[in-house]
Amino acid sequence: MADTVFHEGFFRIALWVSLALGGLGLLWRLVTWLTVRIGSDAREVSFGQRLWAAIGGGVGALFSRRLPGMMGAFFLDVLFQRRLFATSKLRWAGHLMILVGFTVLLVMHALAAWLSGKLFDNYYATLNPFLLLRNVFGAMAVIGVVLLALGRRRDWAFGRPARRPADGIFAALLAVVLVSGFLLEAQKIASPKAFYRMTDEFGLGTDAEELAGLRWVWKQDYGVAFTDLHGEPDADVLAEGRELNSQACVDCHARPQSAFVSYPMARAMAPVTATLDAANADRALLWLHVLACLLGIVVLPFTRFFHAVADPVSLVARGAAASGPLSLAGRVSRRALAADACIRCGLCDARCSVAPIARWLDNPELLPSRKVQATRRVAGRAWTRVGDGDADRLAQGAHLCTDCGRCTLRCPVGLDLADLWDAGRDDLAARGLPAPATWIQEQPAIAWAEALGTELGRVPPAGPLSADRRTFSACVQCQTCTNVCPVVAHGGTDADRVDLTPQKVMNLLRLGMVDLALGSRMVWDCATCYQCQENCPEGIRVTDVMLELRGAAWRQLGPVRDRRRPE
Amino acid sequence: MNYALFLGCKIPSKVPAYEVSTRAVLGRLGVVLHDLPFDCCGYPVRSLDRDASVVAAARNMALAARAGLDVLTPCKCCFGNLRHAQRLLDEDANLRERVAAALKAEGLDLPTSVRVEHLLPVLARGVGLEAVEAAVVAPRAGLRVAAHYGCHALRPSAVTRFDNPMAPTLFENLVRATGAQAVEWPRRLECCGEPLHEANPTLSDRIAQGKVADAREAGAQVLVTACPYCHMRFLSIQAGRPDALPMMLYPQLLGLAMGMTPRSLGLDA
Ligand code: SF4
Ligand code: SF4
Ligand code: SF4
Ligand code: SF4
Repeated sequence: MADTVFHEGFFRIALWVSLALGGLGLLWRLVTWLTVRIGSDAREVSFGQRLWAAIGGGVGALFSRRLPGMMGAFFLDVLFQRRLFATSKLRWAGHLMILVGFTVLLVMHALAAWLSGKLFDNYYATLNPFLLLRNVFGAMAVIGVVLLALGRRRDWAFGRPARRPADGIFAALLAVVLVSGFLLEAQKIASPKAFYRMTDEFGLGTDAEELAGLRWVWKQDYGVAFTDLHGEPDADVLAEGRELNSQACVDCHARPQSAFVSYPMARAMAPVTATLDAANADRALLWLHVLACLLGIVVLPFTRFFHAVADPVSLVARGAAASGPLSLAGRVSRRALAADACIRCGLCDARCSVAPIARWLDNPELLPSRKVQATRRVAGRAWTRVGDGDADRLAQGAHLCTDCGRCTLRCPVGLDLADLWDAGRDDLAARGLPAPATWIQEQPAIAWAEALGTELGRVPPAGPLSADRRTFSACVQCQTCTNVCPVVAHGGTDADRVDLTPQKVMNLLRLGMVDLALGSRMVWDCATCYQCQENCPEGIRVTDVMLELRGAAWRQLGPVRDRRRPE
Repeated sequence: MNYALFLGCKIPSKVPAYEVSTRAVLGRLGVVLHDLPFDCCGYPVRSLDRDASVVAAARNMALAARAGLDVLTPCKCCFGNLRHAQRLLDEDANLRERVAAALKAEGLDLPTSVRVEHLLPVLARGVGLEAVEAAVVAPRAGLRVAAHYGCHALRPSAVTRFDNPMAPTLFENLVRATGAQAVEWPRRLECCGEPLHEANPTLSDRIAQGKVADAREAGAQVLVTACPYCHMRFLSIQAGRPDALPMMLYPQLLGLAMGMTPRSLGLDA
């Protein structure tokens, strides 16, 4: 039976407490997948319907035409990570190394008492291949982390991909676990105390004099830091030690050198090993190592690592959707889990069609990885903590998306981002942040002019074209522009009749009344068909001016608008 | 003939058949297409932030310039915006400087000599009408086609130089090259209503419906476009209608006339 720290009272209790807390956290996160409402249609489905869609639909799907898609998703997308393989081989390799390294360490090492110990009757942590393998898989995880970090950096579009506060905690815990694990092993390799513990356990006693030969062997061959052994050993004593070593130790203890990471670390630490040993450093490192693991279990549902639960669900749901759209309840839940399943890999950002525009506008909120988190914030209670400036930046991100669909294609965890963006824009509109054309048209031009007049005083020109009087000074008010305008011609009923004709807009500009033109319906109803500009006998760039007015309206009316954000 | 193929945002996600048929037809006609890591052409932000739109456009053209290629786009809005950006860069020194600085940060140079072309002029003038006609092996004889021009390629003509803006013939000529008949319809040069869709959907629909009705009255059996936005607009307003006027993208019409299968032109799906 393999030994485990979890036989000790404190660790045992700590383990159960962590498992319980982690389990509660997990449950809580899973419940949010059924309660968070993203999109205006999300109100149409209840918690019960969503629960049924998740459980009933999920099980039912196993007996339907959806099964092949779901099976394929599970094996190819979840286990093999086909989608990641297609976009980034480097990150795929990194991910696989962490996955394998971590899983094996978890099973073979952390759960040794329950699994490896039962599986292999000759299991001892100090015995090969286990000693070697622990180093192999530990090193694998470390290399995997490095590969992922490299891949991430290479793909940065502009700014970092989204982050959640807990992401840092997760990274720190991971580092602590890996580093303390290796340090612990290194310290044990060179620790005289550990040596005596072993000799005691295997019936050789702890008498320093009696064990002198064996100690010489372990000092010379394996670098154990005995401070009381000086000079050269007596040949007989050494021979005796070798004899004892081959009888009692080597059968059950691999050469420490096979711990190819920890052993060199032990050598490097040699100058301080004795001091550390006296201070019981191995015990301290063990505590650190185990507590970091346990803390990891507690915070797991709130860190990036939660993707280990969320992503298989997301990918299998995507596989199910491949053979026909999911029910509304299913789709709404899929939106709710997006923010959890997103691993903030930034692969979507790297090829986002509007990334260059995000960079120019200096607004990373245009990037999809940010928007995934933003949609969740907009939909939930966290929205009350979002200030006006941030809200405007989020809205800009949502409304400038071109729906090119590239992010959905690239997302390795199979999120339906196209659907999420639509739903997110609905929510923003409900919060008082629809597309500019909508909120500007909610008020008549005169109201906007008044709002501007009182709050801003003189209105600056809309842009380079309007600033130059020659742009419209030649207008003879012939109305040709108005006569060819399809919006004027087809705007039949009152609701969608234009307020100002193009010719009137030009006239307002001639008169210097930019403020009245800015908020007019015509500016936003213009179809940009360029009939007016093409036909104007004076060569006036009517459409270009309309577009310029829109940009100015967006910039200048935003700050003076009454947000009326319903809760 | 070599071009960098600029698909823009809408074709890959919403009208993939346009890409399929464009590649099929151009491939057969000896036009070699290259794929570059292009992004948004800047059209969607043009009305909100002119400069951002110009930067986006310039960056794409700079990528083409670095590859030593001219740009061919099947989208009329991409075409119009890339040309528009070229004009703004030509006439505004201050803008030019700021855009050049932004490109420099990415190791790109301000593109000065890249030609931006739309699919239709490349076919009509680059490949040439005769060559197109010569490739037709299954003429669409008797098919009455309404050709929809699309605003952003045709106007402002001073910028786009697509064809005579008042009495264009380019699209009809290409239709006739397939053996089909190009119908005369009064509203052929009018807007499809798409750019108005978000701000005023009812008006946008009315404009589009009016156009379709006009084409039908003129005796058209099929409405042909060469722009993903126009195409989507006419499809969506006719969705579910039993009397819907069938829609085709020009390279699909041409491909059929060149003897290609409907499937290879994305027509089956
Ligand atoms: S759909 Fe929107 S967010 Fe996604 S890549 Fe395209 S522009 Fe970016
Ligand atoms: S949305 Fe997908 S691609 Fe984008 S950061 Fe999240 S997991 Fe990565
Ligand atoms: S067509 Fe030209 S000159 Fe005539 S009213 Fe319009 S802008 Fe003025
Ligand atoms: S560009 Fe605008 S204002 Fe000019 S004719 Fe077309 S819809 Fe009317």
